Amino acid sequence: MSIELLSALVTGAALFGVGVYGALSQTNLVMIMMGVELMLAGALVNLVAFWRFLHPDTPAGQMFVLIVMTVMAVEMAVGFGVAIARFRARGSVEMEEASELKG
Amino acid sequence: MSLIATTILAPLSAMVLILLLRRIPAALALTGAGIGLIASLGLLSGAFHATGEALMLPGLPGLPLRLAATPLTALLSSLVAVIGGLVLVYAVGYMSRDPERPRFFATMLLFVSAMQTLVLAGDWVLLLAAWELIGLCSYLLIGFWYRRPGVRAAATRAFLVTRSADLGLYLAVFILIASTGTSDIETTLNTGGSTAVVAALLLLVAVMGKSAQTPLHDWLQRAMAGPTPVSALLHSATLVAAGAILLIRTAPMLPPEALLMVGIVGGITTVVTGLIALGEGDLKRLLAASTSSQYGLMLVAVGAGVPLAALLHLIAHAAIKSSLFLGAGVFQHSRGSTLLAELGGVGRAKPRVFLGFVLSALALAGIPPLSGFFSKDAIIAATLASSNAPLLGPLAVAGTLLTGAYMARALRILWHGDGTTRKVAGLGWMGSGLAGLVALAAGLGSAFPAIESLLGARLPEGTLAQVLGLGAASGGLLLGWSVRGRRLLGPLWPWAQQGFAIAGGLDTWVVRPALAVARGCEGLERRLYDGVLATGRLGLGIGRAVRYSDEQGIDRLISALVRGTVDLGARARRLQSGLIHRELAITVVGTALIFATMLITLLAS
Repeated sequence: MSIELLSALVTGAALFGVGVYGALSQTNLVMIMMGVELMLAGALVNLVAFWRFLHPDTPAGQMFVLIVMTVMAVEMAVGFGVAIARFRARGSVEMEEASELKG
Repeated sequence: MSLIATTILAPLSAMVLILLLRRIPAALALTGAGIGLIASLGLLSGAFHATGEALMLPGLPGLPLRLAATPLTALLSSLVAVIGGLVLVYAVGYMSRDPERPRFFATMLLFVSAMQTLVLAGDWVLLLAAWELIGLCSYLLIGFWYRRPGVRAAATRAFLVTRSADLGLYLAVFILIASTGTSDIETTLNTGGSTAVVAALLLLVAVMGKSAQTPLHDWLQRAMAGPTPVSALLHSATLVAAGAILLIRTAPMLPPEALLMVGIVGGITTVVTGLIALGEGDLKRLLAASTSSQYGLMLVAVGAGVPLAALLHLIAHAAIKSSLFLGAGVFQHSRGSTLLAELGGVGRAKPRVFLGFVLSALALAGIPPLSGFFSKDAIIAATLASSNAPLLGPLAVAGTLLTGAYMARALRILWHGDGTTRKVAGLGWMGSGLAGLVALAAGLGSAFPAIESLLGARLPEGTLAQVLGLGAASGGLLLGWSVRGRRLLGPLWPWAQQGFAIAGGLDTWVVRPALAVARGCEGLERRLYDGVLATGRLGLGIGRAVRYSDEQGIDRLISALVRGTVDLGARARRLQSGLIHRELAITVVGTALIFATMLITLLAS
């Protein structure tokens, strides 16, 4: 395994770890979503790295990354929509107080 | 409606009316019996003018039921109607205080009706049916006061004994019908040979049961537990008479061997029961024993080959014995007891009733010109003229002697003593019934020549018989009046008081086996019942066990399952807090666990 691939994978893992920590430690919905974005970004870095260093001649990896980024944008839009709606309704986006959806 | 049907149906419809209306039983009973009496007297006058009447009813296929009014049956029918009517008149007074009069009069009327059927039956099947009916009625009437101690036992005993002996009648009728192919009595009487001997002996068994002949005489004395009018009717014209009537009607068929047996049975009975009557301590039981004795004399007459003498004695005895019983009933009401020891001197207190009683007693003993003299005389003459004179003659004379002795003994006890009494209710009715019967008892003798000509038979006559009969009767009367019963009987006294029970008597031979069979059946039934009960209990137990296992097993299993599911749901619910970070943390930990597992499996392989 080349140095470049390893450093890219380490970067991706670090990004994922930071994202997990952020998602778990924060109580604000926006901050949680940012953590989730970081986790996805870490995963995408891994994906791009594997494509770039192991199968550079196949376009499928690129396509997959682009589709995931699109999904990320859509997810962001939905997430922020929810956050704005909640803020308007309750004046807060603190997730410690949001347990209405529990079973 | 024909006279025959009226004779039978008038009392029967009166009975039905009494049972339906439940009131004025006495008036209804007297009306029914009166209409029946008129009809039967019509039959009798028809018989005198030789216009016999017959009625044929559809019965079993091939066995039509016949009713026939021949001179003999018309005469007997009138006898039953007259005696029954007078006894009913008496009973109106006797039962005036009894709350259950409807039942009493209804049963009495059924009794009269059944007896009329029996007498007029021209057919064995009908005769059997009537025979059974009078057995039933006697059972019901003897047990009329069924709440008193010992009454039910007496009724059951009378029923059992007569029913056991009735088997003889059934067998005889079966043999006669099978051998002749018809159930007509007149036709079957032409049977001869060994069939006739067997049938005659079987008939004799039935007669011995019904007419209380030795050794089956015991039940009649115990039957005194019933009301006195019942005894009067039972002993004179109905139940007990049925045996003698059967024998008189079948007399043309009886072969010489059977006649000898009949004569011996009757002779033994008349002596044995005469001795019992001499030692008896109860007035009604004394009269009962005397009934057996007199029917014994009738059997002797039949055995001597002169059924006409038996018939005349039957008629005379019917009037005499019923008036004796009715007199005894008055005495019973005035002292509240029938024990001779407590009846001492009652004759002085009731002189008119006692006069009737004395007349009847003298008639029974055979003192001229009372009716009993002519019939007794005829019987003694018949025995002396028969081929078995050395055997039957002394027995008949001894019977006459004993009759005088026990009747005189009863009169002596009733006359001597203090004449205290108490007021008797219904004496007017009782007195008129009694007076009619006493008049019959005294004067019936003058009707005997007419009966002879009606039946077209002559009685044997003889100076020797008259002298013997009169001597025996007056000798007996003198003995009984002057000598105490205990001294007269001597060593026989204790034996006579036990009713000459031979090896326990009837109890050992008939009643005990019958009761043992009944008890065995009862045990069997109880065991069956227990078995059924146990089966039921077993089923119930199985059901209960099944229910228990249902409740404890399946039900509990299912409820445990349900409770487990509910618990699980509650636990799982606690996991779903709805807080995003906690659920995220769970996700992360779960993913980490999955990864760890994958790593371990990868490294291990």
